[in-house]
Amino acid sequence: MKNLRIGAIGAALLMVAAACGGSSSSAADTIAFAAKAYPEAGPADCADGYGFKRITSTDASTVVFELCAPDVAFIQKLALTNYQINDSGYLTTATADGSIVGAPNGTGPYKLKAWEKGSQIVLERNADYWGQLATSGTAVFQWQAEGAARLLALQAGTADGIDNLAPTDIAGATADTTLQVIPRAALNTMYLGMNSGIAGDPFEKLEVRKAVALALDRQRIIDNFYPGGSEVASHFTPCTIEFACEGEEWYTQDIAAAKQLLKDAGYPSGFKTTLSYRDVVRGYLPVPLTVATDIQAQLKEIGIDVTIAVVESTAYLDAASAGTLQGLHLLGWGADYPDPTNFLDYHFGKNSSPQFGAPIAEVYEPLMAASATADAATRAALYAEANNALKTNIPMIPMAHGGSALAFKASITGAHSSPLGNEELSVMSSDGDDTFVWIQNGEPGGLYCMDETDGESLRVCGQIGEGLFGFVTGEASTKPLLATACTASEDLLTWTCTLRTGVKFHNGATFDATDVVDTFASVWDCANPLHKGRTSVFEYFSLISGFLNTDACTKPAE
Amino acid sequence: MNASAQTPFRRALRSFLEQRTARVGLALLLVLVTAALGADVFASYSPIDVLIDKEPGAIRLAGPCINALGCDGPQHIFGLDNNVRDVFARVLHGARLSLQVGFLTVGFAIVLGSLIGAVSGFVGGWVDNLFMRVMDVLLAFPSLLLAIAIVTVIGPGLINTQLAIGIVAIPIYARVMRASVLGLRDREFVAASRALGASEASILFRKILPNALTPSIVQGTLGIGGAILDVAALSFLGLGAQPPTAEWGSMIGGDRNLLFSSPHVVVFPGIAITMTVLAFNLVGDGLRDALDPRLQR
Repeated sequence: MKNLRIGAIGAALLMVAAACGGSSSSAADTIAFAAKAYPEAGPADCADGYGFKRITSTDASTVVFELCAPDVAFIQKLALTNYQINDSGYLTTATADGSIVGAPNGTGPYKLKAWEKGSQIVLERNADYWGQLATSGTAVFQWQAEGAARLLALQAGTADGIDNLAPTDIAGATADTTLQVIPRAALNTMYLGMNSGIAGDPFEKLEVRKAVALALDRQRIIDNFYPGGSEVASHFTPCTIEFACEGEEWYTQDIAAAKQLLKDAGYPSGFKTTLSYRDVVRGYLPVPLTVATDIQAQLKEIGIDVTIAVVESTAYLDAASAGTLQGLHLLGWGADYPDPTNFLDYHFGKNSSPQFGAPIAEVYEPLMAASATADAATRAALYAEANNALKTNIPMIPMAHGGSALAFKASITGAHSSPLGNEELSVMSSDGDDTFVWIQNGEPGGLYCMDETDGESLRVCGQIGEGLFGFVTGEASTKPLLATACTASEDLLTWTCTLRTGVKFHNGATFDATDVVDTFASVWDCANPLHKGRTSVFEYFSLISGFLNTDACTKPAE
Repeated sequence: MNASAQTPFRRALRSFLEQRTARVGLALLLVLVTAALGADVFASYSPIDVLIDKEPGAIRLAGPCINALGCDGPQHIFGLDNNVRDVFARVLHGARLSLQVGFLTVGFAIVLGSLIGAVSGFVGGWVDNLFMRVMDVLLAFPSLLLAIAIVTVIGPGLINTQLAIGIVAIPIYARVMRASVLGLRDREFVAASRALGASEASILFRKILPNALTPSIVQGTLGIGGAILDVAALSFLGLGAQPPTAEWGSMIGGDRNLLFSSPHVVVFPGIAITMTVLAFNLVGDGLRDALDPRLQR
């Protein structure tokens, strides 16, 4: 408790110093560091069997993470854009009034200048950045749902780079000498989700889910509606990721067997259902309505009469998380880090959302074991077990790993694509122009990315904030950012991270270990007064840990 | 036979056909009606049939292939769409749907609007005030916006869209009918009927209404084009016809991003909408001129 009080006094002094006009950094530097541990009362009980046990700042530049179970992907998880470190003082004030959602305060190469809602987000170079300064003084994020309109803006010169070229535009853009087209690796998965947890819904029955799995010709969808570089999903996780494709491959089409299964399930004439989707282009789903329409046509062959329903994007994601999407739903996942835990644990882990119904023990038990061992052979066997259990229980049908492409003006230097969708605008610039304009598919829901899941938000956050680790530009390998190194104990249960010194937040506050503890503690503990975000669900946090005081946690919106 | 010996219908028909623009409109309309009625005969494919795996060589977004012009493959006059369906079949079946939508929507609006307008104009007083203020409120909203609001509440779908467009159109016909009834209710033939003991309802529905219908019919003819356009607009936005139904607005909306790379998938339904609206507008103008006694030659 004493540590907490001293920390609180320090934070208060910081805020006072900041309020007094820009001398916060020097004031902060003179305040003696107060070590801090969370939870203060002692280590967490590890009821979830994974995640944080305790987080401690031993000195201003050292943080110790004690884990409940070994986590071989811990560093990769720390590199997620979601886990950006916030200034403790800012966290206190900005979560209290909710301003953190629209006014992030990071340590990154860009800082937020303006978010003109519905129009654009303007970022300006952070002149105090600890690393390489952004090459363009201003970076502008705009959004446009229509692929043709994005390409037109690029060709007209009003944009410098665009996300997700429409598959039908790739050939033309490649032939255009004024543009450069850069493919993005298919490190994603598009799936057809089915919720087995909705009483009375046909998809409650395994036979029905299997019938749908057997009815679909997924290769036909790839061949006709996906760009080059895409492939049929043999497993949920793309096979370029190690251990992803252990176990049996997914079902192949068998219409007769599908019809028989429907008959066995009590639907000899089929049934009516809904196929929901959001009209948002992603690398894993480049033409949503067209793919939905083809699935509708394919399921008609076994008597399932599908009505296609488009749902607004944010509402759709919220409904998926809440498990309220009835019938079938099209959704996908782009890798945040290249490990099966990112794909499998998030969707099918013990603490996963009810998107597909209740978590399946046959799946999550091997997943938990696999994430807790570094032994390759053991991991392979456990992922085989989990993948086979997914094939048996069919909570969803893995459909495709979609290749995609970005386009830039030919004059842009530093243009690149990230397999994780983390393109860094700070390394891109155009000769004679200090402003770089990027057009993506949609507007971010919010910029407090601990509480965001959509790539459109995460990409913007990635320019503004930083975590302890990040990813190498255009690659999926990690690099240290606010940490200089993290070393693990032999049993992988304790990670000691040394922090970078001399880093300042955009508000002038100095980065130290307390910020790391408070950032994670505020999300980890649902009873923490700082546990507030746009939805306060903090869905991505379950990738790294369960929550404390779960009774106080916000449930996904119904 | 001189003009004075002709029945009013023959006189109106002759006047209508004497107008070149009306003849063009009628011809376009006949083409559309023929296409709509004979869609199953003229089109070799079902409008919802996905040809992948069913027709060798069927390629997504393949351009028009007309055998008479030397194309060797299976004939697709308007090409194939994003889901590898025959665009010609979809446009023809879309004509059926659009005509049905236009007539039903306007029919619904005319019946309800005329009833409201007739009662309002004939009864007068507070009834007139009440009905017309409600109509004023409806008219105060931008029609398409109001229709979107209604569809948002009752849910997307073709029937709901028709209902929304129909509701939005009611005030127009109510106003037209009320004006006609106001002009007729004090005429001699009404007074004569009343003197002969006819009931008020009988006077309204048997004497006044038949004589007041002409402006509504003209307005309705002009309104069909607008209704088709409105339904297409709502379908374009995803609120009207749902996939895989062949509807021109949803065809354009679904493939709007292909305007430059595969223009045939949006240009043909676009032309169809233009032709239809133009046809009804020309016919409507022609009817108005033919039925307006002040323009009789």
